Amino acid sequence: MSVATNPSAPATSAPSEHAVSLTLSNIIQDYPAPGGGVTRVIGGVDLNFERPGINMLLGPSGSGKSTLLNMMGGVRPLNVKTPTSGLVSIDGQPCHGPHDDAVMVFQRYANRPDLTIYENVAFPFRFKLWRERVPEQEWRARVEHMLEAVGLADKKALHPAQLSGGQNQRVALARALVLRPRILLMDEPFGALDAQTREEMQHLLIKLYRERPCLIVFVTHDVTEALMLGDRVVVLSTQPATVADDFTLHAPRPRSLDWQRSPEAVALSERVLEQLHRVSAGKGSLRVTV
Amino acid sequence: MSDFWNPYVQPDPRQRRQLALLSVGAVLLLWSALSGFGLVGPNRLPAPWDVLSAFGYLSWHNGESMLAEATLWSVGRLLAAGVLVVLIGIPIGVAMGASPRINAALSPLVDPFRSAPVVALLPILVMWLGIGEAMKIAFLFIGAVVYLIPMVRDAIQAVPQSHWIGARDLGATPWECIRQAVLPMAMPRIADALIVAVSVMWTYITVAEYVNAKVGLGQLIQNARRFSAWDQVFAGIIVIIVLALVTYQLMRYAKAKLFPWETHQ
Repeated sequence: MSVATNPSAPATSAPSEHAVSLTLSNIIQDYPAPGGGVTRVIGGVDLNFERPGINMLLGPSGSGKSTLLNMMGGVRPLNVKTPTSGLVSIDGQPCHGPHDDAVMVFQRYANRPDLTIYENVAFPFRFKLWRERVPEQEWRARVEHMLEAVGLADKKALHPAQLSGGQNQRVALARALVLRPRILLMDEPFGALDAQTREEMQHLLIKLYRERPCLIVFVTHDVTEALMLGDRVVVLSTQPATVADDFTLHAPRPRSLDWQRSPEAVALSERVLEQLHRVSAGKGSLRVTV
Repeated sequence: MSDFWNPYVQPDPRQRRQLALLSVGAVLLLWSALSGFGLVGPNRLPAPWDVLSAFGYLSWHNGESMLAEATLWSVGRLLAAGVLVVLIGIPIGVAMGASPRINAALSPLVDPFRSAPVVALLPILVMWLGIGEAMKIAFLFIGAVVYLIPMVRDAIQAVPQSHWIGARDLGATPWECIRQAVLPMAMPRIADALIVAVSVMWTYITVAEYVNAKVGLGQLIQNARRFSAWDQVFAGIIVIIVLALVTYQLMRYAKAKLFPWETHQ
């Protein structure tokens, strides 16, 4: 597998509040196959994410990228050992289960329908962990600020059913960011939204990222989304997933439609598609919006 | 009339009420005709007006109301059993729903009773608990709780996993996941389970009061039957049906008020 550039050079800056490293070492994942035997879904992935940045994990559906993300978040499925072999570590510390360095945002945003928007954003502070860590006065201020930042301040007394899908995903994003995580893991968060709403959400994410940069790992099967958002794009092959390509993007965000049509972007898009066709032989599906 | 056979077109509420009244009225009319023309004798089917006067007699006679007293006792037993069902049945159901291991251990003890003849347990309960209030309340409790527990378990298991995972990821302890993410989502269906449990208790009240009840709606019917006062038997049955219906509607109303978000899910 070709690795175009290696962006994960050792951090040169002094450790700051934001400094964080997330390392996957030789991750292999097998699942029991129906009818005996095993299916290898992840076949030896080495990745190192350092410093704040938006890192896109791009792969066809079913490529095991969500499994990888769940490993980083410490979300383990029942009855299966994850990873089968290999190690996920954060700041050099091996992580074996749930941890509070990373917060995840899912496509199914899991808002509580019986709570108001405000209560949904403040949801993590119902848990002892965060109540002890953040004084009430501060978390209330953070919740108000996040509601403002995602543009839902005037809707805070409503309930999720009164909001659109995009607005509900904003609630989920606000609920994650209200914790000011050092690592934000996003699993196809905008995958179920219509094209226009998806673009709005991408712009919102860029805005929020600028306000408070953190290490984002963003899983998508949308080539355009990967190129629009990523500081770095990791392309995964499928069954088993391996790193097929890994490159950095320097174009300033938000990236305009003109940039998408620039020779640079078109070349990258073609490169990614070619890689994926070569390594996945038509397995799984991809989306290209432009 | 083109929508007569169309399951997706509801008649307006007024028309629904009219149709309901029409069918109830038709049954009353048929009943009156059978009695009025002497087609069925009063020993087999008491006339509606006799049932009405029996109702009046039971409601107020010699400065006391047998019906009110009986109703209070029956409702009291039902409430006592209901409190036990909530306090014992709901936690067990939640635990079974939230832990597959607890479910595996307890379901062979609970599930078979859903289709078992609970009424057959009555003699055993009499043997163990005697013929007093404890036996009656225990019988109502068992009859209802075997329905409630599996329904509560299913309510918990029906909550999408994403809620549990989401809370777990936010650093919640397993107890916090259940208390803050899963249980609130399951509440409307747990309320449904409770409504079913109460309905089941109303159907069992006569059986519970079969043995040595000094007062109660079941006893009232039992007593009247002994003296072949069929009009009173009918009046008693109708009172139970009406009470069960009223509790059902009240609980449905309370559920809609408590969980307004469920309807627009």
